Amino acid sequence: MAIVNLHNVTYKYPLTETPALQNVNLRVKEGEFVAIIGRNGAGKSTLCYTLAGFVPHFFKGELTGSVEVAGMDASKSHLHEWVLNVGLVFQNPFNQISGAKYTVFEEIAFGLENIGVPRDEMKVRVEEAMRLTGISDLADRSPYSLSGGQQQRVALTSILVMQPKVLVLDEPTSQLDPIGAREVFGVIRTMAEQGMTVVLAEHKVEWIARFADRVVALHEGKIILDGTPREVLTSDLLLDKGFGISRYTSAARKARELGLWRQEQLPVTLEEAAEGFALTPNASPKRRCESK
Amino acid sequence: MEVITQNVVYFIVVLAIMVLLFVWAYLTGRMQKEFTTMTWVLIPVAIAINLTIGQIVLVLKLPVYLDSIGTVLVGVICGPWAGALTGALSNIIAGIILDPGWFPWFPVAAVIGATAGVMANIGYFKNWWKVVVTGFIIAVAATIVGTPISILIFGGISASGSSIITAFLLETGRSLMTAVLTTNFIAEPVDKIATSLLAFAILDGLSARYLTRFPRGENAAVEKGQQQVQLIIALVVVALLILFGIYVLPSITSG
Amino acid sequence: MSLNRSFFVPIDSPLHRLNPLTKLTFVFAMIISAFLSVPDMAPALAVLVLLTGFIGKVQRQYRTVLLKLILPAILFMFVMQSVFLPGGETILIQVGRFDVARENVRAAFLTVSRVFVMVSSFAILLLTTHPSKLMADLTRRGLPPQLAYVIISTLQILPQMQAKAQTILSAQRSRGLDTESTFLKRVRAIVPLVGPLVFGSLVEVEERAIAIEARGFTSPRAKTFLYEVPDTRADRLIRWTLVIFTLLSLAARIWLS
Ligand SMILES: Nc1ncnc2c1ncn2[C@@H]1O[C@H](COP(=O)(O)OP(=O)(O)O)[C@@H](O)[C@H]1O
Ligand SMILES: [Mg+2]
Repeated sequence: MAIVNLHNVTYKYPLTETPALQNVNLRVKEGEFVAIIGRNGAGKSTLCYTLAGFVPHFFKGELTGSVEVAGMDASKSHLHEWVLNVGLVFQNPFNQISGAKYTVFEEIAFGLENIGVPRDEMKVRVEEAMRLTGISDLADRSPYSLSGGQQQRVALTSILVMQPKVLVLDEPTSQLDPIGAREVFGVIRTMAEQGMTVVLAEHKVEWIARFADRVVALHEGKIILDGTPREVLTSDLLLDKGFGISRYTSAARKARELGLWRQEQLPVTLEEAAEGFALTPNASPKRRCESK
Repeated sequence: MEVITQNVVYFIVVLAIMVLLFVWAYLTGRMQKEFTTMTWVLIPVAIAINLTIGQIVLVLKLPVYLDSIGTVLVGVICGPWAGALTGALSNIIAGIILDPGWFPWFPVAAVIGATAGVMANIGYFKNWWKVVVTGFIIAVAATIVGTPISILIFGGISASGSSIITAFLLETGRSLMTAVLTTNFIAEPVDKIATSLLAFAILDGLSARYLTRFPRGENAAVEKGQQQVQLIIALVVVALLILFGIYVLPSITSG
Repeated sequence: MSLNRSFFVPIDSPLHRLNPLTKLTFVFAMIISAFLSVPDMAPALAVLVLLTGFIGKVQRQYRTVLLKLILPAILFMFVMQSVFLPGGETILIQVGRFDVARENVRAAFLTVSRVFVMVSSFAILLLTTHPSKLMADLTRRGLPPQLAYVIISTLQILPQMQAKAQTILSAQRSRGLDTESTFLKRVRAIVPLVGPLVFGSLVEVEERAIAIEARGFTSPRAKTFLYEVPDTRADRLIRWTLVIFTLLSLAARIWLS
């Protein structure tokens, strides 16, 4: 069952001529973890906003084609219905703090207050969500006093507590330090493993290769590749279009030119690379001797 | 006591007009259109801009307040009702955290936002000289609403700097009403024109793409072209109007 | 500015335990009576408000507010009005061209009492009520939740922006910007201060709007509240007493004049 179904979606922001998305077709199965890659301006954020209902409802502009997510249809549903089913987390952790609350606990409860969850249930859900993301000890702090990584986990928790069917994340770690990024990735992984449908726009291809079920490559508003992480992330097309690719892939590609990589598949992660090089018979020293 | 009774009548009339306008705008849906989530999020930022710049100006010891730049911004790009709300809340919140003495002036602040909104809706926030005109109209509106408050609540002389002018005018034998009105008519135009010009400069620096997110973002679309001559004419006319006002106000109010 | 956070003092006291609406009713009852009832009421109410300030165990903070904010403004008004208000027969003191008439001193005293009641009762409410409790209670009673959002959000954004202004001001000064000298130079100093301050915070608006929409800000469902703000029998009793008191004080004005 596809929980996300975009058919021939083309979208133009107001006051713009060129579409930010062009003939995009995307189906995501329930429980699938899909990563979106693309260069700056490729349309990743726009795609995330489309899945989360903000395109077209918030941004206005011109949308053609059909967008169906979790049984809702963009042309019929309101944004406030949409957000009950699809959660959105984006880059800047600071701007995701509502500003309406004094403590982290209150901040996370904000969404539940808005959608009218009864008080007792609200408290239970907030505590549970905080435990899941490992921020229980921040409950009484001011959201403004936290580090970027902590703020981003608060933002993520504030969305998860609303129990969305689909979680959309737009480069959630791009403005965090390595420690903050690791904490946030940890939570995303847990959610994916628990069977939540996750769509993640992300640059860190090595991490994607390890954990995503599928990778979609966007270029100038079009989907140019869609497949398993290995297929997509090692494709020569990415190289042509100037995508950021894994240094292990680059290394192996170079090695292949030199005849040092004999596997069919190029690696993406360190482990795959190590494994591949280990399997290559008569490794480098000998060859170097021969060529002398 | 008589002045006070006059003022009470005046207040009741103003209040009645406001209620009527409110009902009209509500029933026709004009008001609701101004309050999108963008508006609700902009208002706190605008209030913070009001109060922070107001404080900077105090630090720089300039003879203006400049404490309604944010109010004018909201009025222009969201609409008169949103502007009025921003102004009113600005003073109420300043009353909460800075000094409760701000509180009674909230109707003046509201009128500033509303006037900015109305002027922008008729296209008077699109270039420098039109903005000068708007600033002047805002000042007139602020004077009309501020004078009775000054008299009714503060007996005409509050703790603000411009009260010195009022005291001087009283000493020269003007009536209380005349003195307060004239004071405001001197202090307000300079301040409100400067405020509007700064607000315009800020809007000019924001992208059209960003401004379209707001209910009346098109109000701030800048008209191109050199208008230095018009700008000078506008400034001169406004200056003359102020002088004229100061000259005729005493005879109007003593009549 | 010295007081740039909310006034609230986090302790427990009888006034803290009262429902926020009760305290708000107190504020408005005092203000309406002070301004619209018989003139002699205002000084009496001023004393009442002053005494109330001392039940809340916030005497220290209340005194600070009184001394730093309220008294200087009030004294200034009192002196200026006594001296400059026109008219008045019974001259008490005369210094050169300036005379102080008994009638004007009376009028000034009345105005100052009224302003004191207004400002001071408001300060008591704020010293003893946490802003988010106040907003939660008022929202529960029908205040639009967006207004509550605006107020709390401002209370949090303002100190941040003030801090930023401070940073920009010192940075510009160290780069040689003149914020002290001649009038024209100070006028010109405004522009480089305003730009960096406002643009960043305006651009944040869009993302914050998205973030709160994503959390159901525009949901048409009836809101619920994390905190329960107690409203006791005593609260209701006090509120009704205050309402009746206000009506009586208005009646007194009409009847006596
Ligand atoms: N609010 C907007 N208004 C108009 N054009 C926009 C807006 N946001 C993004 N765009 C344009 O849409 C295209 C895709 O942008 P975006 O989705 O942000 O890309 P990415 O997230 O992959 O960097 C870009 O050309 C960008 O300039
Ligand atoms: Mg992006």
